[in-house]
Amino acid sequence: MSDCSDHDPNWVPYKERPEWNDVTPIPENDGPNPVVVIAHSEKFEDVYGYFRSVLQRNEKSKRALHLTKDAVELNPANYTVWQYRRDILKTLNTNLQSEFAYVESVIKQSPKNYQVWHHRRVLVEWLQDASLELELTKDALEQDPKNYHAWQHRQWVIKTFGLYSQEMEFVDILITEDVRNNSAWNQRYFVLNNHLGWSDLNVQKEICYTLEKIKFVKNNESAWNYLRGILLHDKRGLCGNAVVSSFCEDLYKNKCRSPYLLAFIIDMCDEAIKKDETNCLYNPERAIELCEALASKYDKIRTKYWNYLLERFRKCRGEQIINSNGLMDEIE
Amino acid sequence: MNNEENKDIAHRQHVKYFMRFLNILPPSLSSHDTTRVTIAYFSVAGLDVLGSISSMSLELRSRIIDWLYRLQVHPYKETGNMSICGFQGSSTINMDLEVTDSMCHYRCGHLAMTYTGLCILLALGDDLSRLNRKAIVEGVKALQTVEGNFAATLSGCESDMRFVYCAACISYILNDWSGFDIEKATDYILRSINYDYGIAQCPELESHGGTTFCALATLALTDQMHRLSEQQVEGLKRWLLFRQIDGFQGRPNKPVDTCYSFWVGASLKILDALQYSNYGSNRRYVYETQDSVVGGFSKWPDTCTDPMHTYLGLAGLSLIGENGLLEIEPTLNITKRAHTHLKSLHQQWAES
Repeated sequence: MSDCSDHDPNWVPYKERPEWNDVTPIPENDGPNPVVVIAHSEKFEDVYGYFRSVLQRNEKSKRALHLTKDAVELNPANYTVWQYRRDILKTLNTNLQSEFAYVESVIKQSPKNYQVWHHRRVLVEWLQDASLELELTKDALEQDPKNYHAWQHRQWVIKTFGLYSQEMEFVDILITEDVRNNSAWNQRYFVLNNHLGWSDLNVQKEICYTLEKIKFVKNNESAWNYLRGILLHDKRGLCGNAVVSSFCEDLYKNKCRSPYLLAFIIDMCDEAIKKDETNCLYNPERAIELCEALASKYDKIRTKYWNYLLERFRKCRGEQIINSNGLMDEIE
Repeated sequence: MNNEENKDIAHRQHVKYFMRFLNILPPSLSSHDTTRVTIAYFSVAGLDVLGSISSMSLELRSRIIDWLYRLQVHPYKETGNMSICGFQGSSTINMDLEVTDSMCHYRCGHLAMTYTGLCILLALGDDLSRLNRKAIVEGVKALQTVEGNFAATLSGCESDMRFVYCAACISYILNDWSGFDIEKATDYILRSINYDYGIAQCPELESHGGTTFCALATLALTDQMHRLSEQQVEGLKRWLLFRQIDGFQGRPNKPVDTCYSFWVGASLKILDALQYSNYGSNRRYVYETQDSVVGGFSKWPDTCTDPMHTYLGLAGLSLIGENGLLEIEPTLNITKRAHTHLKSLHQQWAES
C-alpha cells in the first residue's frame, strides 16, 4: 500500500487538529529490542497513535469512524481496525448504504485483500441485502477473471440468497471470453451441482457443451477436468457414454495427441479394468501403450509419472493373466 | 540478471537478504504491519534452510525470541478467559484494554501468527518454556467453527483451509489436540475436495495448490491420510503433477510461480509422489527467479523479490534435494533439524 503523506498537501496530522486535542495518542510499544521493524511514515505513526488511544477509550463516535478510514487507507489488512469500524457503525446506527459504496471503493483499490471482502460479507449479512453483490463481483472479475476472493464472495451470496437464475449466462460469457478460465469452469460445476441438478438431460447437455469447447481448444485441462466432473454424475461412468467415447476415439484417430486426451483414455481403461469390463478399446494393453507414448513423446515433463502408471497397469495385466490361467485350471 | 551465474544458490546473498528483513523495513511495507511475525518466520526459516542459524549472533537470536514472547497474549487474571490466547502478529494493538469480553476481542492471538511464531522459536532452538501451552490450545479451540474449519482470530475474520492448517500445526507442535476436533476438520477437508481432485479453500470453490497443501498437511499431521480413497489419492497425484509446466502453477491455466515449487512440491512429498515430477525443470525455473546479486527470489523471473518467495523458493529446492540446503519437514514447513528439536521437547514434556 502506498503511503501518500508526502504527496497530500491537505493532510493535517491528528496531533495538530483542535477537535482531537482532548486525546493523547498512544505510541506503539514494541519492547526494548524489536526486530522486523517497519520504518512507518509519520502519517502512519500519527494515525495509529490516535487509533490505539480511541480503541483504549472505547470511543465510538463519528470522528472515531473517520479515523478508522484513515487507518484502513494506510493498512487495509488491519483486521482490528475493520472490526472496530463495524462496532462503531453498529453503535452509531449509521446508514449502511454509504458504507457499501465506501467498501466498494476499497475493494477496487485492494481486490485481493481478505479483510475488506470479509467486511463486505458482514455488511451483507447485517442488511440481508445482496442486491449489489453480483455486480460488485462481476466488476472485480472483469479486472481479474480468476480473483479467488471475488469468486468466494460470489459463491457465498449466490448460495445464501439463492441468486442462481442468471449465473449460467454469466459463466457462458466468461468461458466464451477465455475457454481456459478454470475458475469459470468451476463456477459452471457449482451452478449445476446446486441449482440445475444432474438430471440425465443436463448431463447430456453439459457433455455436448464441453465437447464443443474441447473441439475448439484440445489442449485445455480445464475443459477435460470438467468433463470428468460431469461424468461423476453419469451412472455409466467414464467409458459408458457413447457420445464421449466416440468423441475421444475420433480425436485419437485424427491424430490428436493432447496429453489430456491420452490421460482421459487411460482413465477409461482404468475404469474398465476396475469394473472388470475390459473390451477391445479399453484394456490394460492400451493403457500401457498410451502411458509409453506420453512418457516418451507427448508429455515428457511427466515421464516418471507415466512410467509409474505404466507399472501399475503392467501389474494388473499380470494379475489378469494369472486370474485367467486360474480359471483355465478350474475348467480343465 | 545473468542466468549463466544463476546455477547455484547465492548462499551468502540470501543470508544477507534475510538479515536485512530481520532488521528494518521500508515504509512501503506498512501494509504488512499486522503480520510482521510472518516476515520474521520467512527470514528465520530461510536462514535455517540455508544452514545459517549459527551465523546469527546469540544476541540477535535472543532478541527475536524475546520480541516474540512479548507478542504472546496471556489469559486475563480477572476472567480466566483463554479464548484470546495465542500470538499477535505485531505490537500494533498490544496496549492494555479494559477487561471485558467485548474489549478483549481487539487484542487476541491470530492462528497464522501463533503457528509461524512457534516455528521461529523452534528454528532458534528455544525450549518453549515461556509458552502458556494450555492457554494457546484453548485459543485454538475457540476458533473452530461448526463447519469444521477455523477462523484466524476471535473477531473480524474469515474462516477457511489456511487456518485449519495453522491450527493443526499448533496442536502438533504443542502435542495437544484437545483444541482441535479432528473428525470435524477431516470432514471439512473431504468436503473441499473438488471434481478435479484438487482441494479448495472451502467446499465448491476452485482447487488451489496452496489450499491443497494446507489440507494434505493437516491430514498427515492428524494421522488421517487413510481417509482418502485410492481414487482420491491417485486423483490428487495427477492434479498436483499436472501443475508442473516448467516450475509449478497453483491452478490449471495460471502462470507458474516460485512459491508453488513448495506448496505443490510438499503436497506431492506428503503423497510420496514428488519423485514423479521433473526436478530439472522445476530447479531451472526457481533459479530463473533468483536474484543472485542482492539475494532473494521472486515469483516470476525479473520481478521484485520478497521474503515469502525467497523462503518458499529455497524450501522448494530443498524438497528436491538441492545441495547446500537443509532438509525440510514438508508437513510443518520447518527444517528436519527444527523438527528433531521439537521431538526432543515432546520427549521432555512426556517425562516431566
